[in-house]
Amino acid sequence: MDIWFIVSNTIVLACIYGTLAIGISITWSSLGLLNLSYGFIFAFAGYGAWMFAQYVSAWGPAVLAAGILAGALGGVIICAVGFIPIHDKPNFTIRGLIATLAINLIGTQFLLWWFGPRSKSLPEIFGNWSVSLPGAVFTADKVGNVVTSVLMLAVVLRWMQSSRRGLEIRAMMMNPHAASIVGIGVRRTSFYVMGITGGLAGLAAVLLSQTYYISPFGGLMPMIKGVSIALCGGLGSVRGAVIAAIVLGLNEALTGMSIGGRYVLITQFVVIIVILLVRPRGIAGLLDKAREA
Amino acid sequence: MSPDSGIKWRNPLFVWGGKRDVEELPTIPFRSHQEVWEKTRQSKTKLIPVGRLRYYYKWPGHGRTMWNRLRYWPTRRRVLRVRGEYNPKTLRAEKTIVDKRPIWWVLGLLALAIAPLFTPGDLQNTLLTAGATFGIYSAISLCWMLIMGTAGVFSLATYAVVGTAAFVTALLAIKISLPWWLLPPIGALVGLVFGGIIALPATRLDGFYYALLTLGLNELCRVYFVTSKEFGSANGGLYGATTYVPEDWSQLGQLLLAYYACFGLMLLALLLYRFVNGRRLGRILRMAPEKREAFAEATGVNFRQARVWVFLISSTALGFIGGFYTSNFGGVAFSIFNFDTVLLGLAMLVIGGVGRAEGAVVGTLIVVFFDQVLNTWGPARFIIIGLIMLLVVLYLRNGLFGIKAQFRAWRDKKKSERRSTRAEKGGEMLPEEATETDDKSIIYQRRYDKMTRDHLKTLVSPEIIEEHRHSLNGQHSEALERLLIYFRTRPQVEKYAIMAVERFEGYRIVALSGHRGVAPRVVEDRIYSTPDEACHGVFMRRVQDLLES
Repeated sequence: MDIWFIVSNTIVLACIYGTLAIGISITWSSLGLLNLSYGFIFAFAGYGAWMFAQYVSAWGPAVLAAGILAGALGGVIICAVGFIPIHDKPNFTIRGLIATLAINLIGTQFLLWWFGPRSKSLPEIFGNWSVSLPGAVFTADKVGNVVTSVLMLAVVLRWMQSSRRGLEIRAMMMNPHAASIVGIGVRRTSFYVMGITGGLAGLAAVLLSQTYYISPFGGLMPMIKGVSIALCGGLGSVRGAVIAAIVLGLNEALTGMSIGGRYVLITQFVVIIVILLVRPRGIAGLLDKAREA
Repeated sequence: MSPDSGIKWRNPLFVWGGKRDVEELPTIPFRSHQEVWEKTRQSKTKLIPVGRLRYYYKWPGHGRTMWNRLRYWPTRRRVLRVRGEYNPKTLRAEKTIVDKRPIWWVLGLLALAIAPLFTPGDLQNTLLTAGATFGIYSAISLCWMLIMGTAGVFSLATYAVVGTAAFVTALLAIKISLPWWLLPPIGALVGLVFGGIIALPATRLDGFYYALLTLGLNELCRVYFVTSKEFGSANGGLYGATTYVPEDWSQLGQLLLAYYACFGLMLLALLLYRFVNGRRLGRILRMAPEKREAFAEATGVNFRQARVWVFLISSTALGFIGGFYTSNFGGVAFSIFNFDTVLLGLAMLVIGGVGRAEGAVVGTLIVVFFDQVLNTWGPARFIIIGLIMLLVVLYLRNGLFGIKAQFRAWRDKKKSERRSTRAEKGGEMLPEEATETDDKSIIYQRRYDKMTRDHLKTLVSPEIIEEHRHSLNGQHSEALERLLIYFRTRPQVEKYAIMAVERFEGYRIVALSGHRGVAPRVVEDRIYSTPDEACHGVFMRRVQDLLES
């Protein structure tokens, strides 16, 4: 019973955080931008889905799609405001980091100002059923979360493997300079990348809002977890992000079970620091030199 | 000009019956050199200034010594960096204050020191409270600047250190009723321990990896303190610690005391900044910025150790500030761990400019003004601060205090663009070259030469070449004579000469080196059978060089 509970929790958390972490990883490795405005995209997508559910339709899949689209829109906005003006200027990496933090500050305060501090909740997207197996009960939101995020990730990865735009993004991830020489425009590709990763954040926002609520600052904790998973897995590596998501999801489920939810962040950071002390570039991270080429 | 133009040159020597003389040769009409002169003078091209200006005010020199060096007493450090020199034009002694920042610092600090005397009565409460907050936050910013600017480690755990020290000291002050003057030193101890903990990963990680980790650490502290009962999870913070502000003073007196105490804290932080950044440790660290660590290590700089030192020093200072924070406000709220607090702190550094003490102080002033003085505006003030931060990051390279350098870089770029739009140089000196030449007559010599060549180019025509081929020596038409005189006056370097390969049979053209002992250079493979042909060949080459110049 306990084992199953831990396993199912691990899988659910790993799926949601992994979705965010993979988005952060892809952004970093293709654009060189460490997007710290995910907190804003997250809340923005949540409010987008909420408004859709409020004013258009409360049908689950439509709300999910609205959240994903709102997240993609948020990503595109951040790309236009924070990436395009500075990506070719000196000291881009640190300036990009600060610019996305500034956008995060402006965006969350704007949401607070517009929607007020009260948190909102989304309708049940996956219905209210549950499946009983010997030893465990799988509720609708858990199954839905796992299935949706795995499906979405599979679609995104398949798209990156097989489509022309995906090829462009992968070329940028390998060597941005060479990619721009052979005609893969940094600006155009950056809009695709930010749209896709924003959509992933939007998905995570809608999925997490099944258990938590939507509030202007609600994106902070998922962002920090996503960022630390991306960091732990090695920035720029999808495989590493998945491994780290499973490791940290397991850690979170175990800590929550054994010593209490308060200590989740503490154990999580102990794990991350230990991993990073052993492998400073994360579990499957690229060496800096390999990327700079 | 076609040969049929009908203008003929009459050979005055023809009547003497020379062997190859002809009576008349076709030539070109007279063309006045005045035309080129007028054209050069009347040039209507838009001339954009591209030279160099003096941007420094030159103070007059003084009697016996060229300049006096005033030094801070026991050090060898000068109060002001003054450069003394003689003006090459007027030969007068002049002084240039190379670095005026000390003057601005003194004026700014004086203004802050006397500011409470000039606050309007109805705003006194708000402004003095904001001033005290400014003192504390600028001290924090200065210590953070040591980590971010001097050590080059992008740490976001600063407010975690301050907050932890403040909470621990507040707890101690409440539980075992410590006096207020013990709080800062205890806070410094807490900061030292905390700094040691966060310096551990800093030895292995850098850049983003560290930034993300510390961002998480900050959140970790927030969650820990907010959820723990002993730190007051019920009432949003920990209050009731002893404070240095006496309760029996008037409200104005209390405010003034807090203001000057915080101002003193800022001065201490400035002193610390000066002693770390301006001395050996800071120099070592500035030698090893991010991505150049390998180079620094190769030159014998142990940057890891230096970074750990800066970490420990600034964390201790941050802990001290945390203790002071508690003894100033009589407690501490959880909002110190908020992500927005970290963002505002980062905005303070970024707006002013990373790596400068004045950037930290002025950035803090701007942010605290919006945050504290305009606190009736609600979320709008954070949006304004965020917009300022965003605009600064997008358009400025290193904050407000980097504007000067950025403007100069932009101006240099514009100058070089304008320089390159001048397609025709023709051996003339460009303005920026001209201002740096001591012998100004060279400028006019080159300009005269350019005008001469411009005029001579108009004289080159088939008639003239034909005339030269026909009669090398003797009398020539006016145009040809001008060309030949010009060619004869060229300097020796690279001047063409004729070398006899085999006497009366083979001649070739060489170029003189112009230096003793250095052989002439062969310029073409062609071998001429007579000296006259070779001579005409030299003429043709010179004409070509003239047309190409």
